[in-house]
Amino acid sequence: MEKPDLNPEEKPDYKIGKLFLLFAMIGVIALPIIIFKAFSISTGEALAKINKAPVSDFDHLAGQLFDTYNKTTPAYMEGNSTARTLNYYYSLRQYPGSPPFVPHDQVVEKGVEQTCLSCHERGGFVQAFNRFTPLTPHPQHTYCGQCHMKTVTEDLFRENDWVSVQVPKLGRSALAGSPPPIAHALQMRENCIACHVGPGTVVPIRVEHPMRGNCRQCHVPEETKALFSRNDR
Amino acid sequence: MTLTRRDFIRAMALKSAAVAAATLFPGISFAGWTPTDLPADSILWSKTPCRFCGTGCGLLVGVSGQRAVAVKGDPNCSVNKGLCCVKGYHSIQILYGNDRFTTAYVRKNGKMVPTPIEDALDIVASQMKASIEKNGKDSVSIYGSGQWSIPDGYTASKFFKGCIGTNNVEANARLCMASAVTGCLTTFGLDEPMGCYEDIDNADVFITWGNNMAEMHPVLFSRMLANRKSKTHVQIIDLTTRSTRSSLAADKSILFTPQSDLAIANAICYEIVNNNWVNQEFVANHVSFHKGKTNIGYGTEDHFQFTEKAETIDFDEFKAFLSDYTPELAEKISGVSAEDIKYLAALYADPDKRVTSFWTMGMNQHTRGTWINNLVYNIHLLTGKISTPGNSPFSLTGQPSACGTVREVGTLTHKLPHGVVMNEGDRKMAAKIWDVPETNIDPKPTFHTVEMFRALDRGDINFMWIQVTNPMVTMPNLKRYREGAQKEDRFIVVSEIYPTPTSDVADVILPSALWVEREGFFGNSERRTQHNAQLVPKPGEAMCNTWQLIQVARRMGFEKQFPWKEETYIEDIWNEYTKFHDNPKHRMASYKVLTERSGVQWPFVDGKETRWRYNGKYDPACQADTWDFYGKPDHKAWVWLRPYEPAAESPDREYPFWLNTGRVLEHWHTGSMTRRIPILHKAVPESYVEINPEDARSLGVVNGSKVKISSRRGSIVMKASINGRGNPPEGMVFVPFFDESYLINELTLDAFCPISKQPDYKKCAVKLERA
Amino acid sequence: MPIFSFLAYPEKNMKDQLIKDLSHMDYCEVKPSENQDVLILLTDTPDEETNKDLITTIKALKSLQSLSMTFGHTDV
Repeated sequence: MEKPDLNPEEKPDYKIGKLFLLFAMIGVIALPIIIFKAFSISTGEALAKINKAPVSDFDHLAGQLFDTYNKTTPAYMEGNSTARTLNYYYSLRQYPGSPPFVPHDQVVEKGVEQTCLSCHERGGFVQAFNRFTPLTPHPQHTYCGQCHMKTVTEDLFRENDWVSVQVPKLGRSALAGSPPPIAHALQMRENCIACHVGPGTVVPIRVEHPMRGNCRQCHVPEETKALFSRNDR
Repeated sequence: MTLTRRDFIRAMALKSAAVAAATLFPGISFAGWTPTDLPADSILWSKTPCRFCGTGCGLLVGVSGQRAVAVKGDPNCSVNKGLCCVKGYHSIQILYGNDRFTTAYVRKNGKMVPTPIEDALDIVASQMKASIEKNGKDSVSIYGSGQWSIPDGYTASKFFKGCIGTNNVEANARLCMASAVTGCLTTFGLDEPMGCYEDIDNADVFITWGNNMAEMHPVLFSRMLANRKSKTHVQIIDLTTRSTRSSLAADKSILFTPQSDLAIANAICYEIVNNNWVNQEFVANHVSFHKGKTNIGYGTEDHFQFTEKAETIDFDEFKAFLSDYTPELAEKISGVSAEDIKYLAALYADPDKRVTSFWTMGMNQHTRGTWINNLVYNIHLLTGKISTPGNSPFSLTGQPSACGTVREVGTLTHKLPHGVVMNEGDRKMAAKIWDVPETNIDPKPTFHTVEMFRALDRGDINFMWIQVTNPMVTMPNLKRYREGAQKEDRFIVVSEIYPTPTSDVADVILPSALWVEREGFFGNSERRTQHNAQLVPKPGEAMCNTWQLIQVARRMGFEKQFPWKEETYIEDIWNEYTKFHDNPKHRMASYKVLTERSGVQWPFVDGKETRWRYNGKYDPACQADTWDFYGKPDHKAWVWLRPYEPAAESPDREYPFWLNTGRVLEHWHTGSMTRRIPILHKAVPESYVEINPEDARSLGVVNGSKVKISSRRGSIVMKASINGRGNPPEGMVFVPFFDESYLINELTLDAFCPISKQPDYKKCAVKLERA
Repeated sequence: MPIFSFLAYPEKNMKDQLIKDLSHMDYCEVKPSENQDVLILLTDTPDEETNKDLITTIKALKSLQSLSMTFGHTDV
């Protein structure tokens, strides 16, 4: 086996380790600051109207977005639901992008059509849970029970060894201050507004500039990690 | 799970090291420890059909290193267009259950002992040889399934029918779509639906016959809902014996008495004929009328035989027959109001509405399964609503390759990859392609599934090889067949991935490679063939089912028939198999095309898929620009005169309830795979009995209390579910069959349709007691 | 309470020996790769002093070719 060119001859000194450690520490301190900077509270209900539009059009609704933003009451805009963290968000999923299970009781067993969408299409504050409702990015699919279930036990039938991948990292801009790329696949999640705008969303991924409706003007999906290379003709 | 801060930091430390290692060595893995996550960057996505139902969704499976880590719907697959159901999204987790069989086991002094797989294969071959020498070639048998990949079933058929010379080849698809096959054959002369899933986007009315699509075919159900949402006039009518999720989503749900669908379908025909709604031009040119035997029995006795005798009749005789089925008379049998029957007839007959009928087990697991299939075809033929976009009588299948492997390859006792064993021409063709003497292929079919297990019990069969199915959960009247399999002088080989009640009765367990651990093909409900490549390594000594069969065949001296190399055998088998279907009625796509596309529909002629068969506008096999039912010698579709006959066992004073069995959305069939998916088990951890609230009240039973259900064959104690997901009418209970701790099939009756030999799991009589 | 993780590279044909050596040491946890000549070493020591000694001992191992740190944390 070819050995990697890390530090071929010498065993690295512990001091180098300290340097690494320093970097790690800076990272640990800096990350929350970056996250907190991204905090912002904005409209949910008004923007839900955008969900009614065909999903492929969401990029082009900046004007409507701006209007609805203006009409949203300050009370709603100040609504908060900070209990919802990214860790919690991922704990409902088996892997990044898998359908989350239903974490609350008030679910009608039948699982068909309007029962779920009556809250999750529109958003808003739910007294019973003392929280804002997260919106579905795909309200065009109306048979929710097809993919989303409520669990009734924590026991397993048999143990399972399956493991998933890391969740996508946040804020990986190419340059300092440049808009970060879209870290997840867009399939079933084409509607940026649903998950990135409004008080029902997960705090670290909330955007502070929802009035700029054309999200993909600046944020592009990262389809490949490979760099450009000329084709040999 | 609670982590201390220290645990967390330790986990972070390990993770960082794993990430660094994975960056340096892509595909690195660590013994005895799996990093909780690998870098998201290194996922490679590949297409495959879903492992579960017959819908045949295209999936993209994400592989990181050598493990499947994520799933997306394949947007290029026209079946599901990027959407999956919860089973599909979590399907990759079936690969990693802790109790996977990774080595072979052989029973020694009553105990299963781990054994090198080559030794186990030696034992299988020598046991087969010994059984053949002692008891003849018909003492050995193979029982496969609609989960067999196409090369598995093809190799089994070639090995058993061509080389050994026994027709003891059956598959569990006999239990799930045999009536659909005989329905197609008796009406059209050729198997498999004429339509395709595009009918779902084009229909104006959907009528589902005893079919809970919301749970059994959720992706197609969603496609139906999407059609209804995009237009204002689309209607879904749910004809059912039990109120389900599908009933709730339907525009109208009509409850009928079990078995009375025969009367309802005839009454719809009565209305169409007597209101002069018949499409005269279509019927005159493309339909002929026939009648068969009546009072045909139920097959509950051993050695039951039935031979159909068809007689051609005219339209007037058909019309006279229907006079027994006025909506008012049908109301008495079915409990469906005459008004509702007239409404249904009017929908079917409305010239401005395109109508699609869907059915699955409600019509197929039926002691008159062939008949009810014929009757629904009758409705579509009288109105000429067939083989055009949106007009489609459509039987959906339950298994990923029930069509591809069982119906098309013909892994049933009477079938060959092309045609039937009874036909000399078909035998000649098979003998030539298989390179075996023509005399090898026995012209007489042997046992259908139920009779095969009866033969095992009686001792007519001594050796059975069971691959990819779990009959010790799914056979009706289960106790008899389990005890039969455990008798002295029976040798059971089970190719499996996890321990099941079937592997519990095995003498040899062979560990199988599963789904994307091997290359293969599935064929779905709409004649679509889909290829999957091997995406992850096989665990331990696990071996592809096809390769297991080849290995044993070679040990029995058939090297000449199975010469393929391990690197290319799947492609070689495909090239050989497709010779059987090299005609415009059934031509299949090449290996290369299938590897490139997300499924291809046959007939695939001149590079074009056929969406609607029997219609010259779409089907190149038709001789005219119009309908041509070329499966029948008269080039017509056959309308059959089929009466109502009662169920084999109906509720009575002693056993006053109907027992209905079936599935739930979260679990697939016997749950041997889905129960090992953590999230699915957590959602539906055990089976239950659904009881109508009124019945529950008179029994004094509340939600969750224990109920004893007994039939003439057995009894079981399980928890009651009242007003749960489904709600049976008064006088019926429903039990999902996925849970091996509650073997509901010990109660069911092994009565079957005399024509299709498919058992009826939806109707038998039981009594209830508080337990 | 320092916690560190390293990728440890064995000398040629000495992976098994290195695994053995490291697993016998206190405060060490070893996760060998199944398919590459590398292993993950996790050290979890009670204090800085012990940690320093441990690293020195590890570096003296004949079976070890090189050690590269991937994570470090001293204040637990």
